[in-house]
Amino acid sequence: MSANLSMSPKLSAEESDPDYAIRMIILGPKANVSENQIVNRMHLLDLPLTVKWTCYGAMVSGKKEYVEEAVKEVRKLDPYNIFTKSRGFPPGDPRRCRGHRYGPREGFHQMEKEYQILGDVGDALKHPKEVYVERPKPVPVNDLVNIVNEVIEKEDSEES
Amino acid sequence: MVKVAIYPPNSLVLGDLIERKGHTVLALQKAMSQKVRDPEIDSPPMNITEEDPLKGLKYAAIEVPSGVRGRMAVIGPLIDDAEAAIIIDDAPIGFGCVGCARTNELAMFCLRKKNIPKLEISYPTNRDETFDMVNKINAFLDSLSEEGGN
Repeated sequence: MSANLSMSPKLSAEESDPDYAIRMIILGPKANVSENQIVNRMHLLDLPLTVKWTCYGAMVSGKKEYVEEAVKEVRKLDPYNIFTKSRGFPPGDPRRCRGHRYGPREGFHQMEKEYQILGDVGDALKHPKEVYVERPKPVPVNDLVNIVNEVIEKEDSEES
Repeated sequence: MVKVAIYPPNSLVLGDLIERKGHTVLALQKAMSQKVRDPEIDSPPMNITEEDPLKGLKYAAIEVPSGVRGRMAVIGPLIDDAEAAIIIDDAPIGFGCVGCARTNELAMFCLRKKNIPKLEISYPTNRDETFDMVNKINAFLDSLSEEGGN
């Protein structure tokens, strides 16, 4: 019998609340803290949150204001090597959870790819350098007319 | 605080860097979250209904495949809200939930034609390029703060 991969979720009232937020806390490869430490830290905050210990770090969900506060506190443990990302599905949702739908969830592949540059991203944040960012601007009309005239003259001289 | 659209729209690195600078990131996950956690799910499991391709008509013509229009129904409103944009070219992460090449092209076209501050850089392939990317993104985000979102 094939597995049911499109089961209906049974969302709680809290999970259906528009003010509910879900955050993934991802440790970079050069992090000086472990998953255990960040999970313990969040539990010690004594906020009404659901905290899940995962292979990449932790997942935290609850009211938006509490989640933001928890993320802010956890970042202090290692500001350059703790990264966060919002997530669409609640923790353990059967539509995404590996325990129900077999194989890695879709977002895993992207996280795996981005994890490869997280160490360098953390180093770049730690040692910032000043760079000049040039924003593209439209060519002034007079310059454009001159360029068009030059090209036309060049083509005319080649033909003759 | 400026609303910044990103491409790829669910990027971890871009989303994190933008939030570190105090701006709002217009991430795909937030738009999807509203859809999949709706108490009245009309079409389980994902709540993608026949209304979505219709909403996508604002961004793509009727001849365009319904998959593109359905994706644009979610990504399009994010682009409409954008006050600035960061686009990463050649990102190897254009698969998974953003795995449609035609949607990627259309979404990037919509972002490029918008008259907002934009930063377009290539996906880094080595350590130096990663440093360059992070510094450029931070400089761009700082310039947005100085301009006050204009």
